Amino acid sequence: MGLLLAGCAGDKSILDPAGQAARDVMIIWWVMLSFGTVVFMAVVALWLYTFKRKEVTRTPAEERRIARRWIIGGGILLPVASITALLAFGVPTGQRLLPLPLGEPPEVIEVIGHQWWWEVRYPGAEGGEVVTSNQLIMPAGEPVDFHVTGADVIHAFWVPRLGGKIDMVPGRVNIIRLEADEPAVFGAQCAEFCGAQHTQMQLYVEAVERDEYNAWLAARQTDELTSLAVNDQQHEPAREAFMTHCASCHRVAGLSSPGLSSGLSTAEVGPDLSDLGSRTSLGAGVMAMEEGAVSHWLQHHQALKPGNKMPPHDDIERATLESLGAWLETLTP
Amino acid sequence: MATTMQRLQLTHPLHFVIGLTLWCIWFVTVYGGHAVACAVVPPAPEQGVFTLVNALLLVVSLVAIAILAALTLGCYRMAKHHQGRRRFNARVSAGLYLFSTLGVVFAAMPILGIPPCL
Amino acid sequence: MTTINREATPEGDNIKGPHQLHSDLHEIWGNPRGLKALTIVNHTTLGLRFMVTGMVFFLLGGILAMLVRTQLALPDQDFMSPDIYNQVTTMHGTVMMFLFAIPMLEGLAIYMIPKMIGARDLVCPRLTSLGYWCYLFGGIILSFSLVLEMAPDSGWFMYTPLSSSEYSPGLGSDFWLLGITFVEISALSAGVELVVSILRTRTQGMALHKMPLFAWYILAMALMIVVGFPPLILGSILLELERAVGMPFFEVAGGGDPILWQHLFWLFGHPEVYIIFLPAAGIVSTLIPVFAGRPIVGYGWVVAAIIITSFISFGLWVHHMFTVGIPQLAQAFFSAASMLVAVPTAIQVFVWLATLWLGKPKMKLPMLWVMGFLIIFVCGGLTGVMLALVPFNWQVHDTHFVVAHMHYVLVGGMFFPLIAGLYYWLPLFSGRMPSESLGKWGFWLTFLGFNGTFLIMHWTGLLGMPRRVYSYETGMGWDIFNLLSSMSSFIMSAGIVMVLLDIALHFRFGKPAKHNPWNAYSLEWANSMPPSAYNFVSLPTIETRHPLWDDPDLPRTMAAGQHSLAIATHGRREMWGTDPLTGKVREIIHLPGNSWWPLFAAMALAVVCISLLTRLYPLALIGVIVAALFLLRWSWENGAHPKAAPDAEVAPGDPPLHSRTMDGPGLWAMSITLLANGSFFLSYLFGWFYLWTVSPEWRMPETSPLSLVGLTLAGVALTAGAAILEKLVRGLRQRKDAGLAVGMYCISALGVVQVAITLWVLLSANLAVTETSHDAIILVGLMYALLHGGLGAVLALLQGLRVGYGYVGAHAPFEPAVVAQWWRYNVVTFWILVGALAVLPRVIGS
Repeated sequence: MGLLLAGCAGDKSILDPAGQAARDVMIIWWVMLSFGTVVFMAVVALWLYTFKRKEVTRTPAEERRIARRWIIGGGILLPVASITALLAFGVPTGQRLLPLPLGEPPEVIEVIGHQWWWEVRYPGAEGGEVVTSNQLIMPAGEPVDFHVTGADVIHAFWVPRLGGKIDMVPGRVNIIRLEADEPAVFGAQCAEFCGAQHTQMQLYVEAVERDEYNAWLAARQTDELTSLAVNDQQHEPAREAFMTHCASCHRVAGLSSPGLSSGLSTAEVGPDLSDLGSRTSLGAGVMAMEEGAVSHWLQHHQALKPGNKMPPHDDIERATLESLGAWLETLTP
Repeated sequence: MATTMQRLQLTHPLHFVIGLTLWCIWFVTVYGGHAVACAVVPPAPEQGVFTLVNALLLVVSLVAIAILAALTLGCYRMAKHHQGRRRFNARVSAGLYLFSTLGVVFAAMPILGIPPCL
Repeated sequence: MTTINREATPEGDNIKGPHQLHSDLHEIWGNPRGLKALTIVNHTTLGLRFMVTGMVFFLLGGILAMLVRTQLALPDQDFMSPDIYNQVTTMHGTVMMFLFAIPMLEGLAIYMIPKMIGARDLVCPRLTSLGYWCYLFGGIILSFSLVLEMAPDSGWFMYTPLSSSEYSPGLGSDFWLLGITFVEISALSAGVELVVSILRTRTQGMALHKMPLFAWYILAMALMIVVGFPPLILGSILLELERAVGMPFFEVAGGGDPILWQHLFWLFGHPEVYIIFLPAAGIVSTLIPVFAGRPIVGYGWVVAAIIITSFISFGLWVHHMFTVGIPQLAQAFFSAASMLVAVPTAIQVFVWLATLWLGKPKMKLPMLWVMGFLIIFVCGGLTGVMLALVPFNWQVHDTHFVVAHMHYVLVGGMFFPLIAGLYYWLPLFSGRMPSESLGKWGFWLTFLGFNGTFLIMHWTGLLGMPRRVYSYETGMGWDIFNLLSSMSSFIMSAGIVMVLLDIALHFRFGKPAKHNPWNAYSLEWANSMPPSAYNFVSLPTIETRHPLWDDPDLPRTMAAGQHSLAIATHGRREMWGTDPLTGKVREIIHLPGNSWWPLFAAMALAVVCISLLTRLYPLALIGVIVAALFLLRWSWENGAHPKAAPDAEVAPGDPPLHSRTMDGPGLWAMSITLLANGSFFLSYLFGWFYLWTVSPEWRMPETSPLSLVGLTLAGVALTAGAAILEKLVRGLRQRKDAGLAVGMYCISALGVVQVAITLWVLLSANLAVTETSHDAIILVGLMYALLHGGLGAVLALLQGLRVGYGYVGAHAPFEPAVVAQWWRYNVVTFWILVGALAVLPRVIGS
């Protein structure tokens, strides 16, 4: 997987685009800024100049003519010309983000916002749907349609270096089309205020080459993940602890599927953990994934991310949490 | 035509608000009509701009433009025939009708270039 | 044109001389002291109270802002917990918008408008007082949530489902919804009376096109409040019903839609920005001619720009919602409309420029703040046009770029002109001049601090920093810019403290001001400094836009009682009622005096608000009834009541008292109130049709649960009542009052019939209001009809009683005409409701 940066990896700058949509917006921004600066300077300079000007006596007719010239020139022609240019410039750019029909249907990735983590689904994966959380791997160099929605409150999906944001509204599916030029890691963060931990709702986004993407998906097929989860005998106690304490909210492929079995609504489940060990961070960007990190998180998550929806684990023995952590870290397809 | 314009009393300051009220009604009609059309009979995305929805919106806009332009002209002419308060009212109304007319033209331009329901 | 001018004649009452006249007027208009000061209804006193209270809330909002900047100064700070931080940011926005900006500007308008248009008070003085108390109590209730650490924390625009009872279980959202609705009563009442005052009480001769520009701006602002606030009131009521009772208006599973809240909020929220900006621009348009020493060029252009702004601003609301997934064509309409608003703004900027260009501008302290406004506001306007572009908006929406833009527009567009205006009018408030040197320090610190804070913040946003995050990690390139912003914000705070200090100190140490110190042109400078409670001893005829420039002697002759209405022996508070277009005198308006009822009514409403918060619903119901009784008792003291104007005698040659005509200001106040009510009703219809067509899981029963026969019968009763009322009013117009009392009782009875049948329809519909949004929203519509019908019946009953007491009749025919408007409105809205709720679903089906 190459580049693994600590915590929330990747830059979020709008001015450092990595896709055509974001690049168009950046160009528009610099053009608007230059033009705006000229207008701004001119208006302010004219205003200041009126205080320095020598007095001239004029007839009322001359005064009327001068006033009309200012008002029509500056008050009407200038804004009308500017906004017409802007609209002519802006509308085609907006159309690039539309999910217009393509010759070949683009890859579809579903992203679902939860308080305060991301559920990511790949419905088109060969061999069955793939599910993961808090990381989004996408193919580079081809358009991808993101179908987004919210499970509880309104969130917003935004990968600044690829393009604009779109709200994740409960009960609706919004679509945005983005394309990454080449393989890279991007930062992303929930953009619509969604409650206490809006800040710590980060998403790791990585664009990879198409074959690497296919391989990544293949490694996350249910069978592969199941054999990963249950193979090693030494983790049997951890698995039992998982089934006792965690399985009603968290899915690990082959062991639990909370949405179906425990009768929880989609708003109440926790992140899918089937490939937890392969992720770069924990708690949607709260801390970097390294040895012992999961166990640390399990013990202190309410201090690390106050208010998050996982209950505190004070009632579980430390050794159990450590063994759980060690096992979950092995889930690296 | 001339008598209708006279009956409208174009020097009354009520005309300050009629033009923009019409603009608002046009805006609500177009926005609301578009939303309902997209909810009830959305055209296929492949059709692009050439859909019944775009055509209807365009017709509504042209009607609004025609009405507002006629009123602009009426107020402009009326201003020439009066002095003082009435002249002021008619001139400001003419300006406001002109703005409303161009406001419809400007805000309706996207109908020509954007497919309706995406 | 008949000019009424009873100048000092030997037989006149002012033979006693101006001093006697002054003390006579003071006797009638003067403010009581001690506990009775709570009864004051005078616009000068209440305007100052509004402004001082607004400043206190401004300090609160400012402290919250400093807490935010402290938290964000460095990465990974835990100065505040996430929970507290969210409360602080939410309250900062809420306090600044609802408890500072709007009430402050309203206070200024309440203070200035009568003085500028040559009136002695606003036209509904007791309403001013009610507005102030509602504002004060609502503000205190809302702020108190901070003390309890239970403040709202879902952001100042309260998006649901985050603000719903499921995701915000505490009382925070309830504090916001109830407190803000309470404060909005204040905004609406000020809006209504400012409109009527400006249209109907200008001094004689002041035709619409001779009115000071400030009055045009306030007229537009007030009408925008009247039309713009009701959608939020509706939204707040629906959300509070969802939270308290469980009616699923915004909950997808119950057939609601969270986006409906966003529409209702921004239908209010965008006009709100211009409600704040227009009066501030009005200050600029007032000051620039004074300091340029010449009339403004393009008066008509400015009037047109004001009207355009006030309309277009209602067509922009969706630009706050570009990312919610609305089809691109719809977004393009709003994008274009948002850009259109640049035109009227540019017209104003260039009118101001041309005025300075053709004048001899002087850089006095108020002008310095105007220049600060210009620089900041033009910058904010430019980023505003950028944000109207949809693709750019998708990138920077909800980032610190938007935070920066918004502060450029609001601080630049409201705070700087406000301080310019305060400095300009300080000599009028106090009779003293502010200190130039302290004032300049204050300006430069505020100006530099502001730009340091927010100019940099644009860049932070472009680097991808989202808004409302309580902290951020190092390594994103945001650290240094946040630190600079935070440091600058403290410089700005120091500047603001200096300004406030200057203003506070000047009341004691300022040099006494000479009369009309800036050589201004408008009538407020014809007041004594500080002004008397009745403003003017005599009311002049004004036929120019610059009365004090054209007749510098005017203040003296006005104070000497040489113009109209210089009479006090009748013991009434009097001023002119004039024609809205021409300024011809039509009647004498007599105003009510000081009263306890507004305070009592506001206290009862405060009890309602607190008991709703604490879920003591029976107490809330009692509060509502008590408040209604107080309000009705207040309305009893009108017309020919002994406390109002028992005898109708006027000086020979003067027009009649308004309560003896068919067209007093009360009629206009009722029309404007119904305009607000209509806006509320349209918002409701929008909600109904929106949920019906757009809501993802809308469920509508096969057959409408409402009995069409019942509703038709109720509508017939209502229409019959209204028809009888119209006939009675026609009779009164010809001074015939035979059978008036009986007629009124009949009308009231028909109102009761309508209410009873509607209630039966409601009860027999067996609505499952907590299960589907369809049933819930029908309930709200029928409740609306019931309340309106009930109030119509009560008003008709009271009119019948008043006829018996002799307060209403051929001699005082005014009030039935006011009640008739209410009934007419009821008939129209009731039939529309029947059509929308009961007929259309039967015709179209689900």
